[in-house]
Amino acid sequence: MTDNLTGAPELTITPGGSDSQTRLGTIARHRHWLVGGGIIAVITLLGLAVPYLVSSKFNMGLVLDGVILAFLALSIGFLARHLGLISLGHTAFFGGAAYTVGIGIGRWSMTPTVAFVVAVVVGTLLALIMGVLVVRSTGMTFLMLTLALGQALYQFSTQRIAIPWTGAHDGLQIDLSGGTFLGLTQKSMMNAALFWPVAWVLLMVCALWLWITGRSRFGTVLEGIRENEERMRFSGFNTDLPRLIAFVVSGCVASIGGALFALNAAYVSPELLSFTKAGDALTAAIVGGLGVLAGPIFGAIVYVLAQSRFNTSGNLHLYTGIALVLVLMFLPGGILGSLEKWVRGRLSRRRQATPPSTSEPSSPEDQS
Amino acid sequence: MTIFEGRGLSVRYGAVKALTNVDIALEPGLVHGVIGPNGAGKSTFIDGLSGRARVSSGVVTFNGEDITARSPRWRRRHGIARSFQRTSVFNSMTVRHQLEMVAERNGESDLASLVDTLGLAPVMDRVCSEIAYGTQRSVDLALALIGDPKVVLLDEPCAGLVQDESVRMLQHVRDICREREVAALLVEHDVEGVFRTCDRITVLNLGEVLASGEPAEVRSNPAVVQAYLGSAA
Repeated sequence: MTDNLTGAPELTITPGGSDSQTRLGTIARHRHWLVGGGIIAVITLLGLAVPYLVSSKFNMGLVLDGVILAFLALSIGFLARHLGLISLGHTAFFGGAAYTVGIGIGRWSMTPTVAFVVAVVVGTLLALIMGVLVVRSTGMTFLMLTLALGQALYQFSTQRIAIPWTGAHDGLQIDLSGGTFLGLTQKSMMNAALFWPVAWVLLMVCALWLWITGRSRFGTVLEGIRENEERMRFSGFNTDLPRLIAFVVSGCVASIGGALFALNAAYVSPELLSFTKAGDALTAAIVGGLGVLAGPIFGAIVYVLAQSRFNTSGNLHLYTGIALVLVLMFLPGGILGSLEKWVRGRLSRRRQATPPSTSEPSSPEDQS
Repeated sequence: MTIFEGRGLSVRYGAVKALTNVDIALEPGLVHGVIGPNGAGKSTFIDGLSGRARVSSGVVTFNGEDITARSPRWRRRHGIARSFQRTSVFNSMTVRHQLEMVAERNGESDLASLVDTLGLAPVMDRVCSEIAYGTQRSVDLALALIGDPKVVLLDEPCAGLVQDESVRMLQHVRDICREREVAALLVEHDVEGVFRTCDRITVLNLGEVLASGEPAEVRSNPAVVQAYLGSAA
């Protein structure tokens, strides 16, 4: 009896579970990690070919914009998927990091690389501060609190007192001639095809990070909190801390996107902090599919490309609205979400069609 | 030997007195039943003891220590678990996934035998929302019993179950409490089930204790007969 209270006992649920069974289980679990990691690695490699496939400079710029927006969509999607929380305040970390790059280079003469690191740290700290304030709330309250705090930062950036730092509505030009970022000079940073590998690989690293977080024990705890927070507390779990950690992790991803944006555009404006930016990212995540890791990434690229097409027609918002309604009505899980559901449905139907090789005798207890 | 005690517990919701000056003492291996008509304060009582509702006066002690102000999480980590009247499981997770999660947190060494006792082995890999309601109730009970708690507070574990399931559920509760030396508080609507299962019984009415003692003693208490059991006694 006393053994039960000390140490962390190994769990074997299968009655009479032998060593070999445990080992098989461990291999199966590792296989899962390898397959997932492998898929992300292959997608990363394939993505590196994009600059060779997209011939026009204009389209390359659009795809890169999509990838930058994907950081924001990915971070918002992570919170939605694992905690059921919709944040409209993530622009604070995205825009905050972008401004930090501008201010760091412009006022404190940092090199782009140092400015990037500092910007991600500052964005993450902002996420920590906002997280402490909002993490106990859920649903609509969470949405409104994040919106309010994000908008507060937006308003602050346009105040007279902030003009020397942010340039208010004029924005901030960033002079990138003072150094390199991962070997890229100013010219290369502003060239979409040359900047692409950096943005794409970092996006994939973030996706891998969020995927591992979601599939880990920590991810299971997040799922439990999303499903039934009260039961989690009554099962001995702290529910505020995991929420805060998830919020900060997702804020860090948004910050990386914002810092990359600033380095590529060499210009920062208050629009980056505005909730319309969060609206763009959220719409993109919904279109791609909130329930799938790749959904927000795919959605962001599709969204930016579609916006460009709609814009040339002169009816940007009308067509965006119609497209969103169509997706919500006919593809309720988003494009990738619906695709995944369809594939899963086909697979399970096929499995049901093939009869199992061994039929398990039902125990008399089951029938009692 | 009393391990868990509530003394003079009162709970108010605004101006409404939901519970007034209720005492209870739980002992290891014994099941203490709480019965009473609707609105008697049974669930409030469990909420007060488990830290879900704020106690306006009185103390809750565990091993002699005053734990009235302790959080639900603290209580669970120190061996006081509860279940819920409305099934409170993790619907989108498989049964295995959720039991393992709670077991890892609370250091359960013999999940297999708990799973077997509650008959959950055949549904371990099914998503909780897809299994039968009665089985979900067993998962709810398993979540409370994982990690060898010293005290379990069960809020109507038989709510919504048919007679057969209800009998089996109460039998499980009794067997597991004896076997694992758990002190249990059982709030239940099924009066006959409580008389069959429990070692001691407290009858609540309008938030106050009407009677308390051994089942036979309570059954013959004139106040209980008049107010609650009626001709069924």
